[in-house]
Amino acid sequence: MAILEIKDLKVHYLTKEGPALAVDSINFSVKENKTVGLIGESGCGKTTTARAIMKFVKEPGKIMGGEIIFKGRDILTMSDKELRTLRGAELTIVRQEAQNALNPVMTIGDQIAEVIREHEHIDKRTAWERAENQLDLVGISHHRAKSFPHELSGGMRQRGMIAIATACNPDFIIMDEPITGLDVIVQRQLLTLINDLREKLNLTALFIAHDLSVISETCDDVVVMYAGKIMEKADVVSLYKHPLHPYTQALINSYPSIRGEKKNLVSIPGSPPRLVSPPKGCRFHPRCSFAIDRCREEAPEIREVDGHSVACHIVK
Amino acid sequence: MKRKEIVRVENLKKYFKIKKGLFGRFKKGEQQYIHAVDDISFSIGEKEVLGFIGESGCGKSTMSRTLLRLLEPTSGSIIFNGEDLLALDSKNLRKHRRYMQMIFQDPFGSLNPRRTVSDTLRQTVRIHKLAATIAEEDILIKEAMEEVELLPVEEYWDKYPALLSGGQQQRVSIGRVIILRPKFVIADEPVSMLDVSVRIGVLKLLEKIKEKFSISFIYITHDLSTARYVCDRIAIMYLGKIVEIGPTEEILSNPVHPYTQALIAAVPEIDPTVKIKNVPIKGYVPVVPGESSNCRFYPRCPYADEQCSDGTPALRKIGTDHYVSCFKR
Ligand SMILES: Nc1ncnc2c1ncn2[C@@H]1O[C@H](COP(=O)(O)OP(=O)(O)OP(=O)(O)O)[C@@H](O)[C@H]1O
Ligand SMILES: Nc1ncnc2c1ncn2[C@@H]1O[C@H](COP(=O)(O)OP(=O)(O)OP(=O)(O)O)[C@@H](O)[C@H]1O
Ligand SMILES: [Mg+2]
Ligand SMILES: [Mg+2]
Repeated sequence: MAILEIKDLKVHYLTKEGPALAVDSINFSVKENKTVGLIGESGCGKTTTARAIMKFVKEPGKIMGGEIIFKGRDILTMSDKELRTLRGAELTIVRQEAQNALNPVMTIGDQIAEVIREHEHIDKRTAWERAENQLDLVGISHHRAKSFPHELSGGMRQRGMIAIATACNPDFIIMDEPITGLDVIVQRQLLTLINDLREKLNLTALFIAHDLSVISETCDDVVVMYAGKIMEKADVVSLYKHPLHPYTQALINSYPSIRGEKKNLVSIPGSPPRLVSPPKGCRFHPRCSFAIDRCREEAPEIREVDGHSVACHIVK
Repeated sequence: MKRKEIVRVENLKKYFKIKKGLFGRFKKGEQQYIHAVDDISFSIGEKEVLGFIGESGCGKSTMSRTLLRLLEPTSGSIIFNGEDLLALDSKNLRKHRRYMQMIFQDPFGSLNPRRTVSDTLRQTVRIHKLAATIAEEDILIKEAMEEVELLPVEEYWDKYPALLSGGQQQRVSIGRVIILRPKFVIADEPVSMLDVSVRIGVLKLLEKIKEKFSISFIYITHDLSTARYVCDRIAIMYLGKIVEIGPTEEILSNPVHPYTQALIAAVPEIDPTVKIKNVPIKGYVPVVPGESSNCRFYPRCPYADEQCSDGTPALRKIGTDHYVSCFKR
């Protein structure tokens, strides 16, 4: 069953030059106990999508339409009070650059305990014990519970954020680029942790990354986004083995792999469009080596092909 | 193939004094140092790319800045084109500087937001007095823009950095460097802030200008997978020291140092059907790489025993051009 269903979501940023269509009529859903990866180049609307799911979009951004059905109810029509009980407990997020989002004057243990006490009526001692358990769970020893954020490394702070986000047994967790900007070995340790938690806690998650390999290692299904639109959706193995959309293919062909034969890499020419004036037709067509006249005129609808959902005129 | 040697570095050290109070108090009269670069030796041939790979804080940037004498080394020697850089006075050093350039990680941060592409390049032309007239300047600028593929030139001539993508901004930085026809360029994480999809385009550009202008490169990164596509050899750095150095494919297919093995295993795999064998290394990079009487990797090493606390292992030859510093190998 789908825990989260996003229907025709539209988010705009009102800029001096006009509205930027950062998220433009996207649809996808996340089934229970599954992790869905959202991938795309910088600026394609990943964080905006995440914020919209939390109903956190702030000026100059505006949710222009759509529904976000979480466990049967539309988040976009919920009252602030309903949202407060939902966020941080049932629905949580590890925000992009979260490692810098901890409160610098509070110990990590207190920050976890505080979140628990916001949502559950338990005494301080029990909350503190739960906080210590959380720290052990994410691989920071509970002995570090009294550490302040500046006493922790970047990787440990990110673990701390994951401890906070999982503290109230959420039904759904969004992780927005949780390993970006960290050292390779720390990244590996975090990927291992995230996969352990997926199993231990039966997480249902949306995992955002701009690097397909990170998605390949953590997700069941993948949503490929480009310039505010979804280009392709499929399960992770099928997406990698049989990518249908030229954009997905290009992403894979530009990826420098360290293992196996050294293959010839092809970069994607040009750069993503500015979202205040996206190209007519398919938004990817100026960078697509297969584009035909139709692609320049008419935006492709999402269709089902070989078990994938794909928005492309040339896919048979 | 034996290449002509362009850069030779011997026993380079750069120590930073630790300020009192920062890491607790010292005993009276006891000054402590961060050994940011600790006894590094290597050489680079003509048109060769040597990669330096290591985690944050291992001394990559300090080494680069010391090589270009933006920082004074604590000791050691740097030979560039047969000349001992440390023996040069400031006038002669200035003459050499033009031929040794650096490309930085953050393309936007290294460009002046109020200068158009052509103004940025023009400034370099003027500082180094490369042209006598404005018309001559324009020719050099146009050539550089063509070289870095900012095409058509007219479209980018008057553009400000904010309107360029990250990849295009990095091309401007590269243009600014090649206009000087350097012989030695240090690229410090030149693509790590760019999207994977455009990284390879910038790397291919570096490759092209390397061949065309016979440039020797140091390529600094913590990402082995891009290093594979640019480097002839790679050096793995840990806490100020080279722990393994050798030809790129040799290091990737036959890594010997446990730290190299861990770095390789850590790189995420794009094929979801391939499961990676993890190399379990413990803990984190220590914050202050100071004096130590054992192998610096000892506290994190899965294979360590008593032997490893007995002095620092020297780099030993273990194959053609392949050296490693480890007691256990
Ligand atoms: N506050 C804002 N004002 C105007 N435009 C914005 C604002 N925030 C985001 N945008 C625009 O919306 C688009 C989507 O941004 P978003 O942060 O969702 O992208 P992203 O996919 O998360 O990128 P990244 O990989 O860099 O994190 C971008 O093109 C960006 O320029
Ligand atoms: N000016 C300075 N004064 C004191 N210590 C310094 C100074 N510059 C660097 N260091 C220290 O020297 C060590 C090496 O730092 P360096 O910046 O060279 O590492 P790096 O490998 O470039 O890291 P990164 O990948 O984060 O760029 C670090 O411990 C750093 O804190
Ligand atoms: Mg984002
Ligand atoms: Mg650095």
